[in-house]
Amino acid sequence: MTAIARLLDDFARRRRPLRSLGASGQLGYGIPTPAFEAGLGRAPDMIGVDMGSIDIGPNYLGSGKLAPTRGGAKRDLRKVLNAARRLDIPLIVGSAGSAGARPHLDQTLAIIREIAAEDGLRFRMGVVAADVSPGVVKQALRAGRVRPMDTMPPLTEADVDATSNLVGQLGLEAFRRALEADVDVVALGRACDTGIFASIPAMLGFPPGIAMHMAKIVECASLCCSPGGRDTILGILDDDGFELESMAPSRAATPASVAAHSLYEQADPFEIREPAGRVDLRDVTYRALDSRRTRVEGARFEPASGLTLKLEGASFLGHRALLLAGVADPRFIARYEEIFAAVTTVVRNLVCEDSPEDYRLGFRLYGVDGVRAWAGAPGQMPREAFVLGECLAPTPERAEEVIRTTKQYLLHHGYEGRLSTAGNLAFPFTPPEVMVGPAYRFNVFHLMEVDDMASLFPVEVETFG
Amino acid sequence: MRLDTMAQVIRSKNAGPCLLTFDLMLPDEATFAYVGARIATLRQKVALAYGRSENEVAVLAYAPALAVKITLPRDIVSGDVGDRDVYGAQQHAPLLDMDL
Repeated sequence: MTAIARLLDDFARRRRPLRSLGASGQLGYGIPTPAFEAGLGRAPDMIGVDMGSIDIGPNYLGSGKLAPTRGGAKRDLRKVLNAARRLDIPLIVGSAGSAGARPHLDQTLAIIREIAAEDGLRFRMGVVAADVSPGVVKQALRAGRVRPMDTMPPLTEADVDATSNLVGQLGLEAFRRALEADVDVVALGRACDTGIFASIPAMLGFPPGIAMHMAKIVECASLCCSPGGRDTILGILDDDGFELESMAPSRAATPASVAAHSLYEQADPFEIREPAGRVDLRDVTYRALDSRRTRVEGARFEPASGLTLKLEGASFLGHRALLLAGVADPRFIARYEEIFAAVTTVVRNLVCEDSPEDYRLGFRLYGVDGVRAWAGAPGQMPREAFVLGECLAPTPERAEEVIRTTKQYLLHHGYEGRLSTAGNLAFPFTPPEVMVGPAYRFNVFHLMEVDDMASLFPVEVETFG
Repeated sequence: MRLDTMAQVIRSKNAGPCLLTFDLMLPDEATFAYVGARIATLRQKVALAYGRSENEVAVLAYAPALAVKITLPRDIVSGDVGDRDVYGAQQHAPLLDMDL
């Protein structure tokens, strides 16, 4: 009998609260053992871990690279896989490899296979890839079924063709279909984090609004506590609400800390938007059970009229090369804008003698305008500042040529009032030019109307041992 | 009163790759009521400080956490050419000395 079958069977015989363990909100960056072990001692019904985020920027989605290190991901996966098999409870992994496209999912599955072989684990795993074929999106585009999210421009077919990876955020239903394939472990590509913890409640018939609200909180582990942190959290769900308790004694889930969590990385703290509808948090109440546990009630689910899929895509921008240097001459710092502009022209005249201007060169002066494009100069210029030069070019060789030329001419540029005629820059090391590889941008962040998720995102089952 | 003398937390972060969201967490009901009564002014000042029109700036009071949330569009989509703060975690600075 699989872990999910055993759980469903148990609930069929005796309906009771469901105990979910949020082991990690960012698998691959470490799961503190004491709190995780404490959680395993509390008779959990399932373990869930999220790996995903769009905050990490477009590079991982575009390049297909894991956001955590392979070693970190393997250590954490080993911990949760062994625990779930030992207790014979379902393990659910969302947004495999962070960006959750096929290359990330494949690398995560390869790690799981290694662990299964090395540790002699036996289980069935349900997998759903989140990749969407460009053809499907273009067809939807032509049918007027794609619209921009937030401030994105309308999607074009050229955008779709330019993506190096294109995924849709799988929802609760995809997790549920994977579980219904009668498995012990579920691993999904890019997915809504709520699906990790709301899918089993959906199969057991718990109210969806309350379940999704709990899911949204426990997927971040103990981040909803005071002080917030990455320790494992226990969520206990019943038909009227849920209770939260951090498995780290130093962290308290208080009504204020849990309520404040609704603000985190969300534009609207009163709602959770999901592919299948929205959860209204307007009437939610938070009540302290004791100094470390809070009970939450009142979330309401409103189903959407149709299914929508949030698309995420990244396209290649060019190869990036950097120049890292410091300055401490107030004359340079005062004139940095004209110096950067003059050197940009000098460089262009040199590197474009027999080639087109096929690159972008930019500068930031940390200490002055590194973090924000401020309106106006600061009241007082800094004593020292950091120069970041950045070039994006079609090839690594071109990016390197431009940035090395820039380094030479910025070092020796003769600006008005210059006293330091031996050199303008302090290099912290050599070479001060760094090649950072291919760069990407988000070019798809849109909503697509979908009729049938199951045909777009089929479940694959793999058996170990 | 300056926001950094009133709030316990002033933070910024992405809400998706296109939006920045700011949380002002206030220490007590009285301060929350003070800011809550000045939402329109706050919205005006934020729009000016971030170079946005007022209708691009959403400000709402969130009583369960004694917090005020501000959301506005990023100038550059997270991680795109010229972006200076991929996570958006240091864009709160102009709020610190804002007088309300």
